[in-house]
Amino acid sequence: MEKPFIRVTGLKKHYQMGGATVRALDGVDLEIMPNTFTVVMGPSGSGKSTLLYLLGGLDRATSGELSVGDQSLTGMDENQLALFRRRTMGFVFQSFNLVPSMTALENVAFPMQFAGVTSAQRSQKARQLLEQVGLSDRADHRPTELSGGQQQRVAIARALVNDPSVILADEPTGNLDTSSGAAVMQLLADLHGSGRTVLVVTHDPRMMRFATHQIYLLDGRVVSEAEYQSAVLESVQN
Amino acid sequence: MKFFDLLRLIVGNLNRRKARVALTAIGVVIGTAAVVVLVSLAIGLQRNANEQLFGIGDLTQIQVSPTYGEGPVVSGPGGGGGGGGGSSQQKLLTNLALDEIRAIPGVESVIPRDYLMMGGMVKYQKMEGWGNIIGVAVNNLDVLGVEATEGDTALGRGVAVIGVMVPNNFYDPRWRPGQDPPVPPDLYGQQIQLIVSKYDAEGKETRKNITLRVAGVLKETRGESDWTIYMPLDEVKALNEWSMNRRINYNKDGYSQVIVKVSDVDQVLEISDQITQMGFQAFTPQSFVQGINNFYVILQVIFGGVGAIALLVAAIGIANTMAMSILERTREIGLMKAVGATNRDVLSIFLGEAAGIGFVGGLGGVIFGWLAGQGINVIAIVYLAGQAGQQGGVPPSVAVYTPVWLPVFALVFSTFIGMASGLYPALRAATMIPVLALKYE
Repeated sequence: MEKPFIRVTGLKKHYQMGGATVRALDGVDLEIMPNTFTVVMGPSGSGKSTLLYLLGGLDRATSGELSVGDQSLTGMDENQLALFRRRTMGFVFQSFNLVPSMTALENVAFPMQFAGVTSAQRSQKARQLLEQVGLSDRADHRPTELSGGQQQRVAIARALVNDPSVILADEPTGNLDTSSGAAVMQLLADLHGSGRTVLVVTHDPRMMRFATHQIYLLDGRVVSEAEYQSAVLESVQN
Repeated sequence: MKFFDLLRLIVGNLNRRKARVALTAIGVVIGTAAVVVLVSLAIGLQRNANEQLFGIGDLTQIQVSPTYGEGPVVSGPGGGGGGGGGSSQQKLLTNLALDEIRAIPGVESVIPRDYLMMGGMVKYQKMEGWGNIIGVAVNNLDVLGVEATEGDTALGRGVAVIGVMVPNNFYDPRWRPGQDPPVPPDLYGQQIQLIVSKYDAEGKETRKNITLRVAGVLKETRGESDWTIYMPLDEVKALNEWSMNRRINYNKDGYSQVIVKVSDVDQVLEISDQITQMGFQAFTPQSFVQGINNFYVILQVIFGGVGAIALLVAAIGIANTMAMSILERTREIGLMKAVGATNRDVLSIFLGEAAGIGFVGGLGGVIFGWLAGQGINVIAIVYLAGQAGQQGGVPPSVAVYTPVWLPVFALVFSTFIGMASGLYPALRAATMIPVLALKYE
């Protein structure tokens, strides 16, 4: 049997907000196999984004174990976490987070600067990735000159630039119209097809079409699909 | 992250906020310009003062006199004075004492000299004149650090070497008002007559006439030597003995003055102190120069301090700009961290931007300060030269002087100030938790 790529045990994330303790994640156990397309569903406040950021090493858990590949994130210092994010993770955000002063090409190439890649290699790789997301004619445009869908495709190209094994996407279609959202979903599906592990947090039910696995979150815990559906129904009836 | 990439990123980031960077840098420009102008002014004033001091004498020399009750005797025209005589507290410059001074480490040579202690007149053809006649115990005056414009500095029997101003003392006794004033004679190579006289108990005058050949004229030093006629010590001693009707024994009576030459200018003050402790009077122009230089160093510090206050205000401006900038770019910082920037990368970027503002401001300040200094120079030299002309002083060559190290220092310092004021904001940026930075609205 194949070994799980991402392993999460007893993961908790608590934080203080106005004197009250918020349990964003309250004991999550997960195993994600390599080369899967996992969709994380849950109402807002269920902790799904928190889970994504903890997996990506962008935040630290209050307690619990978290490992990706054969690396345990729990014992890493700041520097090791930065290198982990650089080499293993590619992020796609709801609000794109492109640097407004840089062209599409520069935005894609940007992460490679921190990796110490030479300038020539950077622009070659960035061009190749822009072509892959279908934007080679937009290389010299700044984000303000691109549509939302185009910006998100630039962001996906940027996420791929250091050849990560995992792509983490937080509501990647949240700010997009239906057709550009569909194009972005197709791109993510293609990435899965090319052998990467993709994890998407979304409200968009269309994403389910591409998913190989689903995770349902309610109040910081993983629940079964049945529990999730009944809880959603209940809240609608009330 | 590669250094060149870092540099390009920093320049790019500064470029995209040109107006704000420029406004913040103006503060640094003012501060740096103030430092450059004020310190240049203090240095310029010091150089001016030192130029005026030119002529104070060779800085490696110490004039040592014996301790009399009334201080050293200086003879002038028609002046006389007694060398010996005195109390038990006297400390005389005997040959024994000279050996003691010679033994002090760092002393290069000890040169006794004596003044002619009686009235004397110098004649050249029909002109009469006078000079400060000093006998020196050297074969060549070059040990005293003087040079000849005409002839040479070697002394010998029947030979005199004169200061450049000595011919100006010659006048024609038959000259009457209304006639053209006499032209100072060119004495080089000429015979001059030294006429000395003494009076016995009944007041009867006895004269003595010595012929001297002027073997050299010294270069102008704006000091004592300009007005002096140098002779060998033995001849001056013989004249003094003739005048006093008794033998002078330097072992008992001591010399009236000794020039101590020190090999290293830095040791002059120390050796001068040691000689004073031995009980002699020591005078060195170095102590005077040192005092003046200390004053100008203090002036530089005070002036620099005034400029530094302006720079401090500018530094707070940089800190403020960087703090604002980091607040605005919080999400960008989050993104950089998400794509693999280490804390050190982020720190370097923001420290570099702060240093860049300091550098740009410093560059502007150095250029602006230098130009302002040149402007002051043009105005001040015209004004001061006019004043010096009226008072007969030496016109200053510079009012504001910028040494090469000053702009270099100012540039390094302003860059450092920029970096230092960016340290706190940059540290905050570097240690941001990525997820909070990304979610920042």
